[in-house]
Amino acid sequence: MMIGEGAEARIYLERMFGTEVIVKLRGRKAYRIREMDETMRRRRTRKEAGIMLAAAKAGVPVPEIIAVGTFSMYMEKLDGTLLKDTRITARHMASAGSALALLHSSNMVHGDYTPANIMSTKQGIRIIDFGLADTTMDVEQKAVDLLLMKRAVSRTTYASFESAYAKNSRNAGDVLRQLAELERRGRYQTRTMMG
Amino acid sequence: MLVIGIESSAHTFGAGIVDDGKILASEKEMFKIGTTGMIPAEVAEFHVNNAADVISRALERAGIGYRDIEGIGYTRGPGLGPCLQVGCLSAKTLAKKLNVKIVPVNHGVGHIEVTRISAGLKDPIALYVSGGNSQILKISDKPFRHYRVLGETFDIGVGNMLDSFARELKLTPSWGSTVEKSALGGKYIEMPYSVKGMDFSFTGLLTKATSLIPEKKEDLCFSLQEAAFSMLAETAERAILLTNSQELCVCGGVAQNTRLKEMLGLMAKEHGVRFGFVEGALNADNGAMIAMVAERMLRNGFSVPVNECRTEQRYRVDRARVF
Repeated sequence: MMIGEGAEARIYLERMFGTEVIVKLRGRKAYRIREMDETMRRRRTRKEAGIMLAAAKAGVPVPEIIAVGTFSMYMEKLDGTLLKDTRITARHMASAGSALALLHSSNMVHGDYTPANIMSTKQGIRIIDFGLADTTMDVEQKAVDLLLMKRAVSRTTYASFESAYAKNSRNAGDVLRQLAELERRGRYQTRTMMG
Repeated sequence: MLVIGIESSAHTFGAGIVDDGKILASEKEMFKIGTTGMIPAEVAEFHVNNAADVISRALERAGIGYRDIEGIGYTRGPGLGPCLQVGCLSAKTLAKKLNVKIVPVNHGVGHIEVTRISAGLKDPIALYVSGGNSQILKISDKPFRHYRVLGETFDIGVGNMLDSFARELKLTPSWGSTVEKSALGGKYIEMPYSVKGMDFSFTGLLTKATSLIPEKKEDLCFSLQEAAFSMLAETAERAILLTNSQELCVCGGVAQNTRLKEMLGLMAKEHGVRFGFVEGALNADNGAMIAMVAERMLRNGFSVPVNECRTEQRYRVDRARVF
């Protein structure tokens, strides 16, 4: 049963060995030529799985990967609610901040760190969708992770996020400085009513 | 309302006439670019020499005289400063002489709106691809009605990339379409693919393709196009899914490319999304698109005193109010 669709992949809920699992399948894109399409889907699947495994190792709460195919990834099904669909508490945000700090400290970025990609479960939060994640030391890309969250939540909730991040991150100073710089040259900063 | 629009942001001086949303004329004169690209002052001089003639041709084609003009629009930006100023000055002179209202128009809004309106779309994801610009946009009402940039190029426009590569290959102008023709029958060589969410970049692709010369011309052109257009199709697809849009349109000079339209069409079909574009010349820079936007602005009571009409080289599309 398909439960979600993104530009890159479709998400299915399936039964495997008697339990429910989440399958992320990167299907063929008709608009792309075959040689390019297959290489990209294979590489992206492998990269995403690799980053999720490394993130888990670094202590970032991510869903468990059960199996990885050529174009698909099988993951544990989480019972919970996405932060975008629930009342976000300071506690959620603090956990999200320290999880991001752990990810960044191992030189990985998520690429789409918003309440749509964090799930609240009984066992605490889980970070999902590493489709845009990357391995990098780039301070700017790390700052983008914070910026996306800052834009998506209220000022007070963001404050608990940022302080938890700063407490748990190795180079929070550099990242926060870069964040200020990003906001300064932000895309939607100045607007006039000119024709 | 009979409105004349004047466009001169880059190598084209265009004058278009619109009445009640209908295009009556679209005349233009294009600066022939040599191997050196565009030198702004030279192009501006070309516009100065052609402005009067292009404007009278447009009036003639529309079958009207100067005194029939009820409003004027001109391109405020973005574009090359000296070039923009020629169009602005022509428009201001007309406005003073004829004593009619004048409005500054954003060049990108012109491209998108002429396509959106002509294709009969309401609220599409717009892929605006030209030499200088490559952006994915959608109308937003906050804080005022404008085209919000959802994604865009981090470096150069896709058209600029195709043109630059064609010059490296010593192909003949007009380069973008020469690349398209040369790509026929080519085989795929792996190229860098650079997408981040709904943003993308093209310089890495250009560098890689250039470094592979003297591989077969067909293969290089084919691979360059496939990689660049796949990036655009993927980001446009992401924008559609994220915003839950039912419509897609492509506009700007590169929208003339058949392969790009084919890819976008396939992608749109997969999601049951309506895909719109306009034929040929309306995709290239022209005055009619400026006139079309200007008419809507004027009808909504928006105008600017002649003496306050200026140009702005970096007039971003998301700062322009849309009516």
